[in-house]
Amino acid sequence: MIKFEKVGKIYPNGVEALKNVSLEVKQGEFVAIIGLSGAGKSTLIKLINKMHGVTSGTLTVNDIKVDKELKGKRLRSFRRQIGMVFQSFNLIGRTSVIRNVLAARVAEMSFIQSLFGIYSKADKIKALEALDKVGILEKAYSRAEQLSGGQQQRVALARTIAQDPSIILADEPVASLDPITANQVMKDFARVNKDLNITVIANMHHVDMALKYAKRVVGIRDGEVIYDGPAKNVNENLLKEIYGRDITDEDIMFKDDEHQI
Amino acid sequence: MNIKSKFKEHYWPSFKKLVNKLTVQTKPVRTHTLSNGIVVIEPFSKTPLILFILLILSVIAWEATNVNLTYLFTRFGNFFDILRRMTSPRWAYWRNVIQPMLDTIQMSFLGSLIGALLALPVAFLSANNITKNRVVLGTTRFILSLVRTLPVLVYAAILALAFGFGVFAGTVAIAFFTFGILSKMMYENIETIDLGAYTAIEATGSNKPKAFVTAVFPQIMPSYLSYSLYSFEINIRYAAILGYVGAGGIGLLFDDRMAWRRYEDVAVLIVMLFIVVFTIENLSRYLRKRLS
Ligand SMILES: Nc1ncnc2c1ncn2[C@@H]1O[C@H](COP(=O)(O)OP(=O)(O)OP(=O)(O)O)[C@@H](O)[C@H]1O
Ligand SMILES: [Mg+2]
Repeated sequence: MIKFEKVGKIYPNGVEALKNVSLEVKQGEFVAIIGLSGAGKSTLIKLINKMHGVTSGTLTVNDIKVDKELKGKRLRSFRRQIGMVFQSFNLIGRTSVIRNVLAARVAEMSFIQSLFGIYSKADKIKALEALDKVGILEKAYSRAEQLSGGQQQRVALARTIAQDPSIILADEPVASLDPITANQVMKDFARVNKDLNITVIANMHHVDMALKYAKRVVGIRDGEVIYDGPAKNVNENLLKEIYGRDITDEDIMFKDDEHQI
Repeated sequence: MNIKSKFKEHYWPSFKKLVNKLTVQTKPVRTHTLSNGIVVIEPFSKTPLILFILLILSVIAWEATNVNLTYLFTRFGNFFDILRRMTSPRWAYWRNVIQPMLDTIQMSFLGSLIGALLALPVAFLSANNITKNRVVLGTTRFILSLVRTLPVLVYAAILALAFGFGVFAGTVAIAFFTFGILSKMMYENIETIDLGAYTAIEATGSNKPKAFVTAVFPQIMPSYLSYSLYSFEINIRYAAILGYVGAGGIGLLFDDRMAWRRYEDVAVLIVMLFIVVFTIENLSRYLRKRLS
């Protein structure tokens, strides 16, 4: 469970990115976070695995307080429970797909093993199974940089699965993909969420994708949560409030009638 | 306060002011007015000033080193005299060269290898996109500049005094030298790479060194191997003269044969050195091509 209690975040440069955020996410939920650029979506996600520290309030993740005391070895073992997927995939280009997935296992290995890339048989099987779960097993021994964007994001998803996380954080995972591919990748996220009971928290740039795949939506504006509820209750008026303006083509991935909300 | 920041705070601003005075204020500032009324000020180029300073420095250097052209011509005869004696090499001398030549190659190879291995972890610590701690960054970079200050010959001379004359001192000297240059080349290389994968591995709960070898190594490996081979290639030439300061290898023979004015033997040395350098250079170039 993830619990934000009156959490605030002020960056060292003085920008107040989050104000008084209170939020509770239960194990196995699929939550989409929407809001304008600069609203604080990425900040919210990065607080959860302590890529950035909270400034005020309390944040608790799986009964562990994410505060100043959480650092070094304890922080690293805490992070093992939390997978992260990035908009830019962040794969190691010059190596094979399976080595990219195996990279999720180095946290548990010795330095020497990681230096020479010595992975155990169990880890290799785990990596191959993760690739199978996102339907890309046949690419296991291709070079990562040769894959399409959608395939790369699946490899990134497989990498987080191989980490055995209880939570997956995704920062605009499909924003740089074309609509069709984006849908396929979101389906993989939905499947992983359901089959493995992994909590998924995803920042979504496109409103329609957020409403289609998440059961719960959190709307942020200027660092404040102004909507938190079921996706099916989100309507035009609410979106207007979250975005401070009308929804434009920019905010929607599928522009044809069939898919529009 | 370390020297670098002291320099930055005290001397650099006043030096900059001086340069600005010399350049910006002596000439009218060039401006461009765009059609929408925006005025862009073009800063005045500092290139002429820099060229002027370089010219002055060259003249000073010429004077200070006593380069004398007439001397060069009057003594040219001697040079040809030596060259003529070299045209009849005493080939039998080659047997004496083999062992020192192997020593030279060994010094160069081992020294390059050790230096290159040590360079990687230090490059990791000195890359400003990996190490955020300014104290660590400043310290490692300062030490690296110190290491790079001394020429390899000076290292060899000092080490030969400390460890005794021979191959060991030469190897360590070349290791120092390679380490200083390669670590700088590598941290500059690391600073240009995309750290996305590194961040992703760190986010899985791995520590920095493991994330580095997993995510950054594959990206920098080709250039690292290429730089290392290149160092080896260059070092063979340095290794050839280290004997002059007592650090073993064929430099000892050069020293000895020249002192005895046995130019017939020197010729053999040069021919054999040429063959070795030529072979290693081509081997290295071939390998580097394969890597890129
Ligand atoms: N590392 C940082 N240091 C200082 N300020 C930051 C940092 N990261 C983000 N900010 C600022 O915090 C605010 C919220 O940024 P954040 O990245 O969380 O927004 P976002 O909702 O993810 O936007 P986008 O949709 O553009 O990704 C912005 O004003 C941003 O400039
Ligand atoms: Mg963002």
